Amino acid sequence: MTLKDAFEKRKTDLNEFKEKRRKIRPFIKGDDKIPEGLYEKCPSCEASLHSEQVKNNSFICTECGEHIRVRAIDRIYLTTDKYSFKEYGSDYLSKNPLNIENYEDKLRKLKDSNGINEAYVYGTARINGEKCVIGVMDSYFLMGSMGSVVGEKVTKTFELATAKNVPVIIFTASGGARMQEGIYSLMQMAKTSTEIAKFSEGGGLYISVLTHPTTGGVTASFATLGDIIIAEPKALIGFAGPRVIEQTIGQTLPEGFQRSEFLLSKGFIDKVVHRNDIKPLLGKLLKLHRRSDA
Amino acid sequence: MKKVLIANRGEIAVRIIRACKEMGIQTVAVYSVADRDSLHVTLADEAVCIGGARSSESYLKMENIISAAVNTGADAVHPGFGFLSENSVFSKLCADCDITFIGPSGAVIDNMGNKAKAKSMMIEAGVSVVPGSDGTVTLEEGLIVAREIGYPVLIKASSGGGGKGMRIAHTESEFSGGYKAAALEAMNSFGDDAMYIEKFIVNPKHIEFQILADSFGNVVHLGERDCSVQRRNQKILEEAPSSSLTDEQRKEMGEASVKAAKFVNYCNAGTIEYVVTDDKYYFIEMNTRIQVEHPVTEMITGVDLIKEQIKIASGKPLGFTQEDITFNGHSIEARINAEDPKMNFRPSPGEITALHVPGGFGIRFDSAVYTGYKISPFYDSMVGKLIVHGKTRKEAISKMRRALEELIIDGITDNTKLLYLILHNPEFVKGKFNTGFIEKYIDSLLDYR
Repeated sequence: MTLKDAFEKRKTDLNEFKEKRRKIRPFIKGDDKIPEGLYEKCPSCEASLHSEQVKNNSFICTECGEHIRVRAIDRIYLTTDKYSFKEYGSDYLSKNPLNIENYEDKLRKLKDSNGINEAYVYGTARINGEKCVIGVMDSYFLMGSMGSVVGEKVTKTFELATAKNVPVIIFTASGGARMQEGIYSLMQMAKTSTEIAKFSEGGGLYISVLTHPTTGGVTASFATLGDIIIAEPKALIGFAGPRVIEQTIGQTLPEGFQRSEFLLSKGFIDKVVHRNDIKPLLGKLLKLHRRSDA
Repeated sequence: MKKVLIANRGEIAVRIIRACKEMGIQTVAVYSVADRDSLHVTLADEAVCIGGARSSESYLKMENIISAAVNTGADAVHPGFGFLSENSVFSKLCADCDITFIGPSGAVIDNMGNKAKAKSMMIEAGVSVVPGSDGTVTLEEGLIVAREIGYPVLIKASSGGGGKGMRIAHTESEFSGGYKAAALEAMNSFGDDAMYIEKFIVNPKHIEFQILADSFGNVVHLGERDCSVQRRNQKILEEAPSSSLTDEQRKEMGEASVKAAKFVNYCNAGTIEYVVTDDKYYFIEMNTRIQVEHPVTEMITGVDLIKEQIKIASGKPLGFTQEDITFNGHSIEARINAEDPKMNFRPSPGEITALHVPGGFGIRFDSAVYTGYKISPFYDSMVGKLIVHGKTRKEAISKMRRALEELIIDGITDNTKLLYLILHNPEFVKGKFNTGFIEKYIDSLLDYR
């Protein structure tokens, strides 16, 4: 027997022995000793990633470079100058106009666990010293869906920017209109679009940053109404999902369909920007568009 | 002392060679034809073949060993343990040839090595002894003594040791057969069939005290060793200190041991063995040599006993007093034997095809085996001694378990699994065991694959 084989055999014997003793003393599983959220899995390459390390890397997978979805609070932390963000509209709460079962419970729980009142957070901030109003959608909050509160807050975003005479930056990430609020959700598309038109007429700058995924009613309204539209790499951007389209038109979709790079080539967006380059780019754009009367 | 001949083989020969090398002393190994490839032959500066494979043709052949010493210019002989280590004739022979015998003089060996004589001397010295015959007895005299002290009794060879030449008689009907068998075994092993009788104390603790004595009359003891884990008087596991002695008992027995050694004008390293039951202890014998289990004492005292033996034999006084001896932590030794415990402990000689020796803090492996080494059927089956040292007994047990898990001696059958199970026995772990331990738990200790 080689030493390697002998070690293998010894291990088997020892495991058997320890197994036998376990019957006397119950084996206590140690799984619950590992705190939740210590590690996460990259949605693209499925690598096990140390959460802290991922956070320090702007939530970009350290293995494959995948831009992992970012919570609104983290996005604000990544994008704005330290301590510059001041939140507005954190006390709005959704009603349950269609009397959907458990909808209010669900919202309350999400509010408690996420520390935000809705799937959209906005306020004033500075980016590389430049003043702006920033709004961020949170895809961890009911998939960033747009209900009446999100629509109202987006509208308020532009009203705030008008009052402060500064540009607006919105990071979008949404599954579209919120089903639980039905027609009230769809009405937000018109509401936000009208407000943006007014803001634009007043000479305000609106930069839209599309992140993975930006779909449905959000794409069809304020997400794609930016004066400048930039997107993170490989983000899914579209109205209906690729599967629905395939079934409707009965054709196979081209590779990379509805992804940032595909949309860039079709002229729908202006630039695909790596997450680490977004803040410097925004800073530059804000500086270029700084109004003399601001 | 410039050059030492080691009149032994195996692990202890290697142990002595190592000590000599560290002291800058030249070494001469002697070997039988069966031991040509042994480690002690390889490690020694010189090696001399002294005869045939059987011990009686080599390691017990005094004239061959003396010739080897004279021819190589060795000025001292270390006898190790077993073989000629407690042979007074050999000690005297060395002295006659102007070769230092690293051990006590022939006269002392005669006194102490003769168990019956030793016992009467201890009575004289005031050390308590097990009730028994006054010196050696014939079969007929023995029967009368046995009737007086009551059964069970031990029939022991006066020159015996290592469990050889010893029988227990539980009743008078067993006495005669036991006496004859023990006497025959003693004659074959030691060339002396003088027997003595003593009361057999059922399942006592076996506790022994290590002593060191120089030629200036200074005697110190280095604490005790608990050797109660034994099978048919063959020690399996030894430890120091004993978890069953109180500090008062330790002090009292230590002082008694020093008194005993002084009384017989002892010189060099020796061991006083006691049986202990509850609060009583009885002297049983003195071993006038280094013991197999000496490393556990070394580990807790920091004293290299082999080096001390050599220094004492060179005529140097002890470098320390009793007050200087302190005990640090706990040490356990496990004897690794090439034997199959499941086949009634049958020896398992053969070639070691793969060997992995455990290491790490507090682990010591005294052995003479290596990969490719063939364990000879001619000699005892011990392949090595695994010794651990920890802060506490609990830590030492954990270390020993871990070390046994790592130890691999492939090609032969060994007793590591038995040892591993001993280390997991709840009574052993609690320290509640006596010489009846192995017999009591043998079924659970052999419950392995």
